[in-house]
Amino acid sequence: MLARVIEAHGIATTSISLVREHTEKLRPPRALFVPFPFGHAFGRPNDPELQHRVLAAVLALLAAPAGPVLEDLSEDAEPGDEPPAPLQASAVPAAAAVSADAVAETKDVLRAHVQWLADHDGSTTFGLSGIPVDRFPEVADFLQRFAETGGGDVSGRPEDVPLPAFIRWAADDLKSLYWESRLLAQPNATGADVARWFWGETAAGQVLRRVRDRLDASDDPKWKAAAFGVAR
Amino acid sequence: MPRLDRLPEASRKAVLGLPVQANETAPFVRPVRPVAACRLAMVTTAGLHRRGDRPFTPGEQGYRVIPSSTPPADIVQSHTSIGFDRTAILRDINVTFPIERLRELVGDRVIGGLAPNHYSFMGALRDVAKLEGESGPDVARRLRDDGAEVVLLTPT
Repeated sequence: MLARVIEAHGIATTSISLVREHTEKLRPPRALFVPFPFGHAFGRPNDPELQHRVLAAVLALLAAPAGPVLEDLSEDAEPGDEPPAPLQASAVPAAAAVSADAVAETKDVLRAHVQWLADHDGSTTFGLSGIPVDRFPEVADFLQRFAETGGGDVSGRPEDVPLPAFIRWAADDLKSLYWESRLLAQPNATGADVARWFWGETAAGQVLRRVRDRLDASDDPKWKAAAFGVAR
Repeated sequence: MPRLDRLPEASRKAVLGLPVQANETAPFVRPVRPVAACRLAMVTTAGLHRRGDRPFTPGEQGYRVIPSSTPPADIVQSHTSIGFDRTAILRDINVTFPIERLRELVGDRVIGGLAPNHYSFMGALRDVAKLEGESGPDVARRLRDDGAEVVLLTPT
């Protein structure tokens, strides 16, 4: 859609397609279909050679004399052993003995996260909720109380962000901290490994399951939508 | 593909259930010069933005500007659908938004240079009327003003 709009303004475009069926209908001017799961448009993280091969193939379409053009990436590469769709909370049973103290656990995670930042030039996907990272034990405490009572709030919540959206972003930020800390400890873990650990073995995972249930129990579609984004 | 035949039934139905415009033809212009001489910009629908920019809300049809000089570490993703695994982008933003790979291509003279800005939209939009009629054309005009000569579109 955007490619068509931009091309209609006189600029040549080329696109990565992850869903061939949609691209065939939509007909962007030029598209390269790649055989990768969502979240992996250029193949595999930390594999610059594969990323360059995808880039070369998608830029090569710009030489086509006429269009629309839809080509397939010539190699049938999957990024490692990643499944085509992520593991969801509902597919992971909680372990028998999981800590109930998400606040203490979050403090431990934050200590590990400092090292993640040091090792990755400060790169993190944390930062959606507007609450600084050092206050996340407090955010974990809020989420725990919200799960139990449906009430509470966090001081410093951005004024223009409604509570359900804030809860969704706070959950996303909490997941980022846990995911990145886990990848620090287990650099070769797959996404499914990390999901199995988070939903199965952490207090935060259990809190987010209950936050999801609490949001989903609302009649308000905005709260239900936030629930869907927290856990499925 | 996510080869759709490999997705769980629920995910496959969710993907194929998304409304998609059906077109018979496509607008088509040739690049104004060889790609090795063109200034390139990226437009992504991965819900990326600079840390500190307002996160995208689900369904939002606006856009964010990502200056092409932005350090990769300053880019975050607020499209956090649990329909895809974020582990890859946590490890390496280039798997979705190849900002460092493009700089390497400039160094290798495969592309002429980078336009001053990339642009970003939210993913998984169902209603795209404003994107088609307002924010999309607005970005197209900005790309022209930026001197972008070719545009690479990247999804989540």
